[in-house]
Amino acid sequence: MADIVRKQKVSVEGATVRERLQAMDDSAVVTAFLGGEERAFSELVTRYQTRLLNFVYRTIGDREKAEDLVQEVFIRVYRHLHRFDRSKKFSTWVYTIASNLAKNELRNRSRNPLVLFQTVQKNFQDEDRPLQFEDTTSRPDDMYRKRHLREIVEETVAKLPEHHRNVFILRELEGKSYEEIAEITDCNLGTVKSRLNRARNSFAEIIAPYVD
Amino acid sequence: MDCREFCDQHLAFVDDTLAGIELVRVQRHLLECESCAKHDAKIRRALLLFRNLPSIEPSADFSQRLEARLRNCEYDNLFATTQRNLRRGAIAATVASVLMLGYIGTTLFHSDTPHDLVMAPVVASVPELDLTPITTSTPAIVTSVSAGLTIWPAALFAEQVPVRFAHSSLELANYTR
Repeated sequence: MADIVRKQKVSVEGATVRERLQAMDDSAVVTAFLGGEERAFSELVTRYQTRLLNFVYRTIGDREKAEDLVQEVFIRVYRHLHRFDRSKKFSTWVYTIASNLAKNELRNRSRNPLVLFQTVQKNFQDEDRPLQFEDTTSRPDDMYRKRHLREIVEETVAKLPEHHRNVFILRELEGKSYEEIAEITDCNLGTVKSRLNRARNSFAEIIAPYVD
Repeated sequence: MDCREFCDQHLAFVDDTLAGIELVRVQRHLLECESCAKHDAKIRRALLLFRNLPSIEPSADFSQRLEARLRNCEYDNLFATTQRNLRRGAIAATVASVLMLGYIGTTLFHSDTPHDLVMAPVVASVPELDLTPITTSTPAIVTSVSAGLTIWPAALFAEQVPVRFAHSSLELANYTR
């Protein structure tokens, strides 16, 4: 009986701590973790796993690899959280790690002949070249019916040059501000705006035949 | 506003970050220019499509795998810390041994060579003299010499000779002054 009561007490305490952590902002959760509260790290994982997975997946286009990379992001966060400058935003730091890992993954792929996007990317090395979709035989309404629109959108994103894609996803999918994107991608504000503008135009140009 | 200016402002226009006057100018241009209006619609439609992509969720075993990796990471950290401490200890012990051997070697090496001893300065002091004049006609001496008796008084006298001579020289100097 006493055992059951003790277990219930521990469970209630755990729930209370979790609820308290959920109510905190990122900075407070980080502080709690550094103060020895191990459950705070689980809270950070819960908050960011899906967002990071989507970001990395849209950037590299490989679901399994994206999961591995997101895990790697959390491992790095766990290892180096004590070095994190708490005057800055935690989310920016996490996205910077994820962005760098995704970039490395794409770089490694480009050195490997059996890569997913290599053939696609080589057509888009020149930023000024207008983007055109080669396959014009499929009708957009058919695509909708066959539920292929999602694949088309993903393929279109994958066709954007890497640094355009990165900025595009951070802005349109993650809703980051220009300043945050500049910090994450280590670019100046002007470059971010220019890349975003080009990425939007390229994306719209490629996807237009399927949605008109 | 011309089309070029519109294109320059379009990013901010889509993101709703244009200031009031600029916003009005862009909106007016959209009403006037069909080409730019089409461009604007095309971009907005494409973005809508992208923003509405379904979100993907982590796989069911994502948390378990992450937990396992974090445990490994902790173990690795612990192992690395232990290794590091052991390495530091070994280095410290080696350094201490080398220093000790060096000290012993130096001590042994230098024990054969003569040292320049530094000693306390010697302060010479002259014992206070008993300057009572000796009368050579001390009866005891006269008696002992002539009688061939023990010679200790003579020895005593001989011992005091340098002092006696010096004293006599001083006395002589005083007299001749």
